[in-house]
Amino acid sequence: MTRIAEKFVEEFYNSFTSEVLTAADPAEVVDRYYAAEAVQIADGIEIDRDKLIAHLRPVRKNLVSWRYEVHEAVREQEQLAARFTIHAQLRKGRMLSTEVHLFAEFAPDGRLRRATQLTRDVTPQTPQDVTPQTTEAAPQ
Amino acid sequence: MTSRELRVLGMTCAHCVNFVTEELEHLPGATAVTVDLPTGTVTITSDQDLGLPQLQAAIEEAGYDLAD
Repeated sequence: MTRIAEKFVEEFYNSFTSEVLTAADPAEVVDRYYAAEAVQIADGIEIDRDKLIAHLRPVRKNLVSWRYEVHEAVREQEQLAARFTIHAQLRKGRMLSTEVHLFAEFAPDGRLRRATQLTRDVTPQTPQDVTPQTTEAAPQ
Repeated sequence: MTSRELRVLGMTCAHCVNFVTEELEHLPGATAVTVDLPTGTVTITSDQDLGLPQLQAAIEEAGYDLAD
């Protein structure tokens, strides 16, 4: 059960990120993964659909490669809790590792409706390997 | 050594902070960059004077905008 939830988190964010970086229109990708009324609160900063789409412009510009390392996840119907680390490499070489503590809720159609997360920088002194991801089908 | 404070629009997460920091720290003479995410305040310290057009270009290169 837990392993299934961990796999779900990894695939959800991997495929979302991959599609966002390659899509002609990232708004179309957001609308497949996020419910129209979706709200995401990260470290106390709240963003809605429009702000999320605006946020993707710099993401598309700066993110070169990434890897989601899911440490643990639990899913109970539409509720999800997970702890994972995003390893990322930026355009000019900076390497980042960000640990995310996530509580999320999904709509009945499988799209993310609410996400509340706390993050912390866990970038190691020695850079981690960040293997570029490939595009995967969107989970439903 | 000079220090300049800027207001940057659109930063919403820790990754935004790093996108802006990475761009600014590559400016010639930049020695430190700090970002206060809730207020969008960016402080850049440098050992040579960095003009506003240069800073604005770097912010825009990172994918963000300077506040008026």
